[in-house]
Amino acid sequence: MERTRELDAANKELEAFSYSISHDLRAPLRAIDGFSKAILDDYAEKLDQQACVYLQRVRAGIQKMSGLIDDLLSLSRISRGALRKEAINLTALARDVVAELQEGEPSRKVAVEIANGLTARGDPRLTTIVLTNLLGNAWKYTAKRPESQIAFGQENNGNETVFYVRDNGPGFDMADADKLFAPFQRLHRNSEFEGTGIGLATVQRIVSRQGGRVWAKAAVNQGATFFFTLGEMR
Amino acid sequence: MMMNEPTILLVEDNDDDAALTVMAFHRAKITNRLIRARDGVQALDYLFCRGEYAARDACDLPAVTLLDLNLPNVSGLEVLKAIRADERTKHLPIIVLTSSNEDKDRLGAYDHFANSYVVKPVDYDRFVAAAQQLCFYWMVLNAPPPRKEP
Repeated sequence: MERTRELDAANKELEAFSYSISHDLRAPLRAIDGFSKAILDDYAEKLDQQACVYLQRVRAGIQKMSGLIDDLLSLSRISRGALRKEAINLTALARDVVAELQEGEPSRKVAVEIANGLTARGDPRLTTIVLTNLLGNAWKYTAKRPESQIAFGQENNGNETVFYVRDNGPGFDMADADKLFAPFQRLHRNSEFEGTGIGLATVQRIVSRQGGRVWAKAAVNQGATFFFTLGEMR
Repeated sequence: MMMNEPTILLVEDNDDDAALTVMAFHRAKITNRLIRARDGVQALDYLFCRGEYAARDACDLPAVTLLDLNLPNVSGLEVLKAIRADERTKHLPIIVLTSSNEDKDRLGAYDHFANSYVVKPVDYDRFVAAAQQLCFYWMVLNAPPPRKEP
């Protein structure tokens, strides 16, 4: 009983926190962006080119921060709300996600191999977010390979089903593996690969909410494989 | 009697946001008179011609009201409730204009019969575009409820 009350209180606090983020942090950002724009529009003739460039950078910074706030909010939303437990066709789901990625970048040629008959029990909405993030990462990080390859499949580890997403992207040093799943931590520079560093944190939060785990194996320049379980199959 | 030019009532406590909204209207070439209320009490005083607005023409209602939710004292939702509960103002077009995209706020606004709910974009260019579309729709395209004579 005591524990339930504490959890309730913690949830309420989290809700108040995300509420104040959405309100209180966005308002000053809007002011910085709006008045920067006003200076650029109304005083352009009094500014030299460098000053205008600085103001553009201020505005670009605002958009980035606004994106971070949105990400933080969606991360906190994942921790709230009821969990559903349903049969999910992961093969079909993965095909949909890849089709969407292909649609976004029609010119990319990626060899995607999705195993047949992958199923699991879990929350359909949240599991879609997991696959969107993992396949989206594989898609993004193989962009500079002459032949991009992505595979989605399953392994049986004792009585546990382990799903994996493998790519032949730049990989990473296993010494950095513990940073992967922390929010806003990135192993690549933004100029190399764009992102805010919220995707894998989101994946981890979803997977652990469903009683599963997520981990990765990789080596520099030898691709990366992300493994996850979705908790009890029963 | 001369028809008054349609006015816009802006209920916004944050001075920066109010200035940005005025600027956005200006940029969007919207020339209608804009009345600003700094909180819920002032908004209701204006609409019901009370307090500092006691001498106002009660028939001169705004064509559209842009209502922030996060207001001191009387909240935006309470303002909305009071507007809908009064015979004189129950049909007024009310647009909730807020930073919040929370389900709870959206549901609350529609529960109290807001006509529309618009999230203020952080990007000012998009904010100006939103102001322009809002005003075009609500001041030009939308046919308001019939005007009541005193």
